[in-house]
Amino acid sequence: MRLSMLRYLLCINLLLSVITARAQVTFPSHEGERARYTAYIEMSRGYISGVCILVKEEGLIKGSLFNEFGITALDFNYDPRHQKIHLHSVISMMDKWYIRRVLKKDLVQLMLRLQQGQYCYKNERQHITYQFTPIANEVTQ
Amino acid sequence: MKRYLLLLWSLLSVVSISAQTLNEAQIRQRVNQAAAAMKTMHCDFVQTKHLKMLNDNMVAQGKMYYQQSSKLRWEYTNPYTYTFVLNSDKVLLKNQQRNDVIDVKQNKMFREIVRVMMSSVVGNCLSDDKTFKTTIATTNSEWIATLVPQRKDMRQMFQKIVLHFNPQRAVVSCVEMIEKNGDRTLITLKNIRTNETINAAIFAVH
Repeated sequence: MRLSMLRYLLCINLLLSVITARAQVTFPSHEGERARYTAYIEMSRGYISGVCILVKEEGLIKGSLFNEFGITALDFNYDPRHQKIHLHSVISMMDKWYIRRVLKKDLVQLMLRLQQGQYCYKNERQHITYQFTPIANEVTQ
Repeated sequence: MKRYLLLLWSLLSVVSISAQTLNEAQIRQRVNQAAAAMKTMHCDFVQTKHLKMLNDNMVAQGKMYYQQSSKLRWEYTNPYTYTFVLNSDKVLLKNQQRNDVIDVKQNKMFREIVRVMMSSVVGNCLSDDKTFKTTIATTNSEWIATLVPQRKDMRQMFQKIVLHFNPQRAVVSCVEMIEKNGDRTLITLKNIRTNETINAAIFAVH
């Protein structure tokens, strides 16, 4: 009786560890792994807030940033080996060559920091601050 | 008994025919009437964002409050917190970092967003011919209005917006936004309660 209780508790403990480990993914380092953050990007003229999701697929980090209402601001790929960002789509109001150029450079720096468990990057020259916070609790339907 | 069954059959046929023969104009009229009669509304909502490129979904939950004619509170509670409050010409945006109050009169883009949000929530955007080209389809359980944006700024964001109506109440039950990049956001309204008193503090913008 005591042994089965112990096994039961051990099982719960393992399950909780797995759940916690899943919730604490701060950067997707294995294939299929994903990380979710609330995102806050502050510029001198305003800010963008929302959610960023990163997924590791075929050696690349695929990312999407969208606002709280679900409207996508940008989709991108990050190649960790070559430290390069490819922007797939950018919302029309931000889709200017000079914004794309800054975004590409900044996202590389941000990805490098996220890999190291740092959630903030400041582009001092352009006065842009990227603040990401991991989302721990997921909602399932 | 036979007569009773015949009567019941006739009655069902009439109900069925009348439901089928509601044309677009009649549905628009019903929706507008329901919107006019809706003094207040509050509900829970579930928002599911499907990301085409990542083949992933993000689910968020929250609460919505509406009061005729220009008060709206759209509040995300899980897994992130974010609040949008519209009170006449003022909008409060509240996230974990900051609170901002925006004057809608001085911000054209926001004025448009607010107008579309309000009219989508109550459904009277079906009559907004300048902004959307609307087609309406009916099924046994719902009316489905497909809104294709006509204005350039809206077309840059959305392919279309699909509103699902509950035919019994003529109110929106579900909003689907399909973006240019193929992403979809589905907002399902649940536990809808209409014409109940809502505390004024809910719509406070300071």
